[in-house]
Amino acid sequence: MSRVFPVFAVVFAVVYTVTYALAVWKNYALFTYHPAIYEFGFGVQKAKDGPAMYWYGWMATSAIAAAIAGGMASLLPAAAQRRLWPGLAWLVPLGAMLFFAWLLRGYFFR
Amino acid sequence: MHGLLAVALLGAITHQAASMLWPATRPAGSFSGRFRSVAAPGYANAVVILYLVTALLGAIVYAEYRVSVRIVLEELQMRAANGSFELKEHLAAIGLGMLPAYWWYWRQPATDAAARRARSVLTAILAFVVWWNFLVGHILNNIRGFGS
Repeated sequence: MSRVFPVFAVVFAVVYTVTYALAVWKNYALFTYHPAIYEFGFGVQKAKDGPAMYWYGWMATSAIAAAIAGGMASLLPAAAQRRLWPGLAWLVPLGAMLFFAWLLRGYFFR
Repeated sequence: MHGLLAVALLGAITHQAASMLWPATRPAGSFSGRFRSVAAPGYANAVVILYLVTALLGAIVYAEYRVSVRIVLEELQMRAANGSFELKEHLAAIGLGMLPAYWWYWRQPATDAAARRARSVLTAILAFVVWWNFLVGHILNNIRGFGS
C-alpha cells in the first residue's frame, strides 16, 4: 500500500480533474438527471418537463476514468512510479480551477 | 444538515490550514496562537469524511436548488449569483478528486520537499474550496431560501 497508493492517488487526482474539465466543456455526462420528474437517463439527454442536470454524470464519467487510470498506474514498475511528481496532484486541479473561472467569465463580465 | 456539516468542515480545514501555513510559536498564549497550535495531521480523516458527507448532502439538495432556486435567479437576471454557484459545483467536484492525495500526504510523514509542498498546497486548495462553497451557498440561501 505504501508504494502503490500514492501513485494511485496522484494519477486519480490528475485524470479525474482533466476528465471532469473535458466532460463539462464537451458535455460527456455518463447519465442525465431530470429533477422535476425524478428521472435518470443514460448518457446526455435533452431537458424534458424541467431542467436537465449533467453534474452527477460528469462526476461519474470522471471517477470511472480516474479509477481505471489510477489502477493501471499502480501496476507500473516501481522505477516508473518513482518518476511521478507529487506536485501534479495539486498543479492540475489548480489549473482546472483557473480554467473554470475562465469558462464561467461570462456570468461576471459582459 | 448540509449547512451544519459544512460549518464543521470549515472549522476542521481552517484549523488544519492555519496550523500548517501559519504555525504558532509555543507556548501559544493568544486566541489566534491557540487556534493555530492544533495537531494538524489529526484533522485529515475528519476533513475527508466531512467533505464526502457534505458533498453527498449537497448533491441531494442540488436537485431542489436546480428546480426551485436557479430558475428564480435567472428570471431576476442575477448572473453573478448563478455564476458563483456554477463555480461552486465545479470546485466541489475538483475537491472530491483531490481527496485521496490529500489523505495520503497527511497520513504519511512528509519526508521530502515535494511531499511537504503537496501536503501544504492540497490543504490550502481544499480550504479555499470549502470557504468559497460555504460562502456562496450561504449567500444564495439567503437570496432565496429553500421552501420560501
